[in-house]
Amino acid sequence: MVSDASARLLIIEDNEEVLRSLKKYFTKKNYDVVTASNGLDGLKTYENDPEGFDLIITDLVMPNISGVAIISLVKKKSPKTPVIAITGWGEHPEALATEAQADLVLEKPIELDKMDQFINDLLSKK
Amino acid sequence: MSPQKIQQKAPQIIGVSQPIERIRDLINHVADTGLNILICGESGVGKEVIAQNLYQHSPRSNRPFLKINCAALPDGLLESELFGHEQGAFTGAERKKRGKFELANGGVLLLDEIGDMSIALQAKLLHVLQSGEFSPLGSEKEVRTDTWVLAATNHELEEDIQKQKFREDLYYRLNIIKILIPPLRERPEDIPPLIEHFVNEYAYQFQAGRINIPGNHLIAKLCEYHWPGNVRELQNILKRGFALGNWDEIIDELFRYTPAGSAAMANSAPVGRPSTASSISGLDYKNIDLDDLSLKEITRAAQDRVEREVISYVLEKTGWNRSKASRILKISYKALLYKIKDLNILIPH
Repeated sequence: MVSDASARLLIIEDNEEVLRSLKKYFTKKNYDVVTASNGLDGLKTYENDPEGFDLIITDLVMPNISGVAIISLVKKKSPKTPVIAITGWGEHPEALATEAQADLVLEKPIELDKMDQFINDLLSKK
Repeated sequence: MSPQKIQQKAPQIIGVSQPIERIRDLINHVADTGLNILICGESGVGKEVIAQNLYQHSPRSNRPFLKINCAALPDGLLESELFGHEQGAFTGAERKKRGKFELANGGVLLLDEIGDMSIALQAKLLHVLQSGEFSPLGSEKEVRTDTWVLAATNHELEEDIQKQKFREDLYYRLNIIKILIPPLRERPEDIPPLIEHFVNEYAYQFQAGRINIPGNHLIAKLCEYHWPGNVRELQNILKRGFALGNWDEIIDELFRYTPAGSAAMANSAPVGRPSTASSISGLDYKNIDLDDLSLKEITRAAQDRVEREVISYVLEKTGWNRSKASRILKISYKALLYKIKDLNILIPH
């Protein structure tokens, strides 16, 4: 499946290395990628962006605003925006992410090709 | 401490440091979300002030704000305070009592010292947070509640989870948003605005013009102290100084009883292993720019500190008999008088 060239992704992740590799990968796949390195900056980017995002990827365990909070707030404001939660090994807030209506919860290490496939599926359902 | 209704106007969050600016920003973004918030920080940093500000910035500000200290009550009593009880639910339950979750319905409940809650009660709290329902003691009926739960702790809850003292699932449910307030020693730039704030507050209380305000050199000294009791300790010290005006003595006491007490040292030295030069001189030379480093100055600071401590000790032992003290110290009377003045050693009142 071909990536939607115009799709805008917001990726929120406090691990710089993971954030960098996600940005690099999805930029190469022709997504318009915006990143934030913590929950508060991610929330502000989401709230203030005039164009809006087609899909949001968020880590679950982060300082200040957690991924669970991001999912709850995004789903409250725009229930149709797909959200993918990513979580580290040994962290267990997955149930909360599902409760907050995350469309998908992926455990690290992330298989990028699979993630790309999931994103395509979610965007085509929109 | 019994649960209490908090005053209507939230106290200001004082500070100019980056973490405090960040906390203000965070409050503005999350106060209207109704998501559970965990407020962490050492004793005395102002966790309740943050909770009150969240409440005041929320759409629930005209509804009740209740707080309960989970460390102050025995388990059974805490359970009854939180969830209420039916008449005859236990010995002494002479009449029905509504719990805080019922009283705070539509408003906010601050669970202070959440890290001290028993595992059994944590399970009950988790149930309310998951379902929005609870049963008062002695009742089979579930009561619905729409309470915004804020929790505060000075514990490292992640460590408590490892030790099986805190439920991991409850932690994640409370930790949807975390506000971490750093200790005052990590943000000494907040000390002058805090002093100014308390000057204004107490000038009003003590009647304007009648409080003793510390001068700039004393404020600089207060910024160097490591404030283990944080803002609460600063407030208590200031209150004492405003009333009595004995600032030199107060500052002398602060540093005398905490010889390794400077903010710079507290930040840099590994716990229990301060460097010899730093602990004796009181100067954290590893954090001084190399251009500004001077062996002479460090040696002088170390010497002053040692002399000050020993002379103070001997003066105390001799009841401030300077002749006797000079003989013990094996220096001239005149040299002792000079050192008392130079090292600013004060007669205790």
